[in-house]
Amino acid sequence: MKQEDSLLEKYGKDSGMKVPEGYFAELQANIMESLPPYVSQPVVPELSRWQRVKPYIYLAAMFCGIWLLMKVFHTVSDPLTLNLDNPPEAIVQLLEQEPDFYEYMAIPDDSDYDMEDEILASYDNFEDFEKDFNSQE
Amino acid sequence: MAYKAPIDEKELVKQLKNESTAAKAFETLLQAYTEPVYWQIRRMVLNHDDANDIAQNVFIKAWTNLHNFRGDAKLSTWLFKIAVNESINFINKEKNRQQHFSEKDDDSFLIKNLEADSHFDGDALQLELQTAIAKLPEKQRLVFNMRYYDEMKYEDMSEILGTSVGALKASYHHAVKKITDYLTT
Repeated sequence: MKQEDSLLEKYGKDSGMKVPEGYFAELQANIMESLPPYVSQPVVPELSRWQRVKPYIYLAAMFCGIWLLMKVFHTVSDPLTLNLDNPPEAIVQLLEQEPDFYEYMAIPDDSDYDMEDEILASYDNFEDFEKDFNSQE
Repeated sequence: MAYKAPIDEKELVKQLKNESTAAKAFETLLQAYTEPVYWQIRRMVLNHDDANDIAQNVFIKAWTNLHNFRGDAKLSTWLFKIAVNESINFINKEKNRQQHFSEKDDDSFLIKNLEADSHFDGDALQLELQTAIAKLPEKQRLVFNMRYYDEMKYEDMSEILGTSVGALKASYHHAVKKITDYLTT
């Protein structure tokens, strides 16, 4: 570098800074004299197996708790929602457990019209049927 | 001055980590590195008494932190890093102290300290060069001193200063240009 060369040529490498005679030996002696006690490598206490596993156990328990909370919340808030936890079979089962619905869906085996047809087939006239009916009471 | 370890560093580190051999090993370390570390500091703070105090602090800090030295870098790199940090801390503290007395926010107090130093017997030219160097920002001044006076390799400088070789080369180039401009105006 041209500028560096001209600096070296004009100013050289001597900075003009000096040290007293025998300074470095004296400095070394001063440092050795003022050294504080030796600081050993800090001993890291060995952890037991439980202490090493504890954070992972806590983490797993936390996730289980969150999952359980979500599950409970989901069940309570919307039991009939169609999703993986509530497949159609489960909905059917639930509906079957509802007595009102069962009753509502139930169709009687014999209607009034069927009964009338049966009476007409078994009796020639209404007086005979009335006679039988009253005798059963 | 190229800082090649004149000792078996691995063995020395091993001895430094052992309490029974640490003191003797530290003496060997001092013999190898006191001078280069001192000059590194002196070229930054310029005054002998200040450099003396800082050099002592550097080695005492190194002694008390031997257990933190992992051996990833060279011992010399580690010591120079401590020396650079201590020098910059000193300059910043002094700068803050000086600001209470004057409006100037630069490192011109360093030149005053140099002029007052009985261990400086430089002529007008040498003082002129030091004044120009003191005008540089701290990091650029470090790069200039390490390269111009100590002829330190950029790779070694890179480890000490934590800057890429390319950036250091550019920084040195700019430093030389700034100094030349200052000296020619």
